[in-house]
Amino acid sequence: MRLTDVMSHAGLAGYAEFALILFVLAFLGIVWVVFRPGNKPAMDAAARMPIDDESTGTPEEETRS
Amino acid sequence: MNAQLDSFKYDDAIVRKFLFATVLWGVVGMLVGVIIALQLVMPNLNFTPWLAFGRLRPLHTNAVIFAFAGNAIFTGVYYSSQRLLKTRMFSDALSAAHFWGWQLIIVAAAVTLPLGITQSKEYAELEWPIDIMIAVVWVIFAVNFFMTVARRRERHIYVAIWFYIASIVTVAILHIFNNLSIPAGALKSYSLYAGVQDAFMQWWYGHNAVAFFLTTPFLGLMYYFMPKAANRPVFSYRLSILHFWTLVFMYIWAGPHHLHYTALPEWASTLGMIFSVMLWMPSWGGGVNGLLTLRGAWNKVAEDPILKFFVVAVTAYMMSTFEGPMLSVKSVNALAHYTDWIIAHVHTGALGWNGFLTAGMLYWLAPRLFQTKLFSQKLAEVHFWIGTFGMILYATAIYSAGVQQGLMWRAFDETGRLQYPDFIETTMKLMPMYWMRALGGTMFLVGMILMAYNLVMTWAKRPAKYEEPVVQAPALVKTPGETVPNIFAGLTIPGHRKWEALPLLFTVWTAVAVIVASLFEIIPTFLIQTNIPTIASVKPYTPLELAGRDIYQREGCFNCHSQMVRPFRYETERFGEYSKPGEFVYDHPFLWGSRRTGPDLAREGGKYNNLWHVNHMAQPRKVTPNSIMPAYPQLLTQKLDFATIQKHVDAMAMLGVPYGDMVKEGAAVEAAKAQAAEVAADIAATDPNYTGLEDKEITALVAYLQRLGVDIKKANEVAAARTTAGGQ
Repeated sequence: MRLTDVMSHAGLAGYAEFALILFVLAFLGIVWVVFRPGNKPAMDAAARMPIDDESTGTPEEETRS
Repeated sequence: MNAQLDSFKYDDAIVRKFLFATVLWGVVGMLVGVIIALQLVMPNLNFTPWLAFGRLRPLHTNAVIFAFAGNAIFTGVYYSSQRLLKTRMFSDALSAAHFWGWQLIIVAAAVTLPLGITQSKEYAELEWPIDIMIAVVWVIFAVNFFMTVARRRERHIYVAIWFYIASIVTVAILHIFNNLSIPAGALKSYSLYAGVQDAFMQWWYGHNAVAFFLTTPFLGLMYYFMPKAANRPVFSYRLSILHFWTLVFMYIWAGPHHLHYTALPEWASTLGMIFSVMLWMPSWGGGVNGLLTLRGAWNKVAEDPILKFFVVAVTAYMMSTFEGPMLSVKSVNALAHYTDWIIAHVHTGALGWNGFLTAGMLYWLAPRLFQTKLFSQKLAEVHFWIGTFGMILYATAIYSAGVQQGLMWRAFDETGRLQYPDFIETTMKLMPMYWMRALGGTMFLVGMILMAYNLVMTWAKRPAKYEEPVVQAPALVKTPGETVPNIFAGLTIPGHRKWEALPLLFTVWTAVAVIVASLFEIIPTFLIQTNIPTIASVKPYTPLELAGRDIYQREGCFNCHSQMVRPFRYETERFGEYSKPGEFVYDHPFLWGSRRTGPDLAREGGKYNNLWHVNHMAQPRKVTPNSIMPAYPQLLTQKLDFATIQKHVDAMAMLGVPYGDMVKEGAAVEAAKAQAAEVAADIAATDPNYTGLEDKEITALVAYLQRLGVDIKKANEVAAARTTAGGQ
């Protein structure tokens, strides 16, 4: 018996919906983690990382606001 | 506990190297683009086999994607990662190996593709030894990058780095699985997969190459360089995180939208469409996030060419990510597929998003890397405007061309017959648009050349010795609980603080998301029989036909001819019966094509006599007036390489193609010679001017073309021959 025979008769169709539910739950988890109210200061600090980092050989642009 | 300050220097020398490589390959890749655009209006420009459209088109796509965009990604990644992670790259030696290895791969591509050495899978044309090189260099890059992340001095991993991580992991997975093949020679291989499965793997790869090579790494660059250029933090960091995860979860499912109405199972096609439509939301969320980063800085856009480039880049991202989901809707796709509409869609993304984001980034980087002012701000402005107008000309022309041809293909007259039964009629209508496209492309190329000049002149004004400022940052101090990697860390501890401290874990989760999605989509096609019902009358190609198929691949015929009749009346009327999944079970690789610059060939066998094909190859315009196909007179004089036929048949047999006794030493060659003699005799009998073709390449190609679609006719004659019902 080949693997394709096993798979073809294993009745796996329902698992597609199961995967969908898993993915939706993962998504909701991420939304909760990201938008948790207490998280704002950390997020704001993270947002500033590129402009707070140090740049080398910085010509005139560094001083502009 | 106060950490001690570490002193270190960033490695900008490697960034400078990648910057120059980006510009160089950008100019080369776009120049090839202009040449092939001109070949479509002036077929005589296909003056040598090495520089014919079928061989140059993959060179263009590979050069702009992997050479231009690839080097642009590395430029930005090497610059931003060091600064965001507050550490020098892990190893200068690995950085150098990555740089020189990648350039070597590009050179290998630039040599092999014009020689006709190709796997003939779009954006994965490079043959197996180069594929191995790519895998090795990618691993070098990955090790260097992940070790840099591991040695960082910044606790939080900024979202740009997440995008880089996802790109590195996913590109590795895609590259390896799509390129699995059996070598049949030093520079020849056959895909491990056949027909529908190969198509599925290819477009799982192809679409995700767009996603994880041209989108996610560039989004990482956007999230770093746009705030830099605007001197403002990203509009919403939270949105950027959501943007990241939704893209990673969804993109990987979208590939099948490249195969609507083909012999792909319906469920896979629908799944691809639904996920593509869902991609609208994260893409636009990310795009708006990018544009709103400029809030309060819009006045600067007027005077700063860098911000102009960024604004158009993000706008182009939003336009093409609006259009992509739209094109994935089956009814829209029915019109657009195989037409220039897809080419227009790709170029909005490639020229606007990748091209302009790269330009903005390079102009921003140049003064910092070369430690002097940009040579000419004005020239950068000129680049912006000439590039923008070039892009508009290109897109307008090619959109019109696509829609026009799509509508002409499906037009019926009042008597119910095809209104434009001659394919060439629909091609000729496109010529004015093709000229306009060539002009637009040339303008974009001129802009690139101006940038190259500007950057080289900036480099020329560099100081005698680059300053290498010493940077100081405290070492990362581990907090209690952080040392134990717990795979549920992200769920049990509120916030990201813990699992973001574990980049390895983060990478694993990203890989899991990508792999799970891939498996759910791919496994059923491979392992559930009803998805690909077999057809008893479909037999393997004869050794000579296989040799002809190799020539068909070598000359890149699949770049302009599809082999896939969709189940629409306007297609079956024009080309013949629609294609079935079971017809392709011996097609390693599949050759369905993605653009019909010429007609579909799935039912070509028996349509014309052998002589017609010989004449058509020698002088296409004598047979079909106004044809824009390159001429292949060399096929009538070049000797067929009988010596490799046995090896190729053996490789196919290893892949499970039932060749039976043909694998006995010499059997395949003998069979090929016998069939070649038959075909050549038939040609000579019809036209005595053609003698002695039995050992020429044309005979093999004609044999292959005459085989296309023939088996299914036999199946129709004996309908009961189908072994499996269902599926269709």
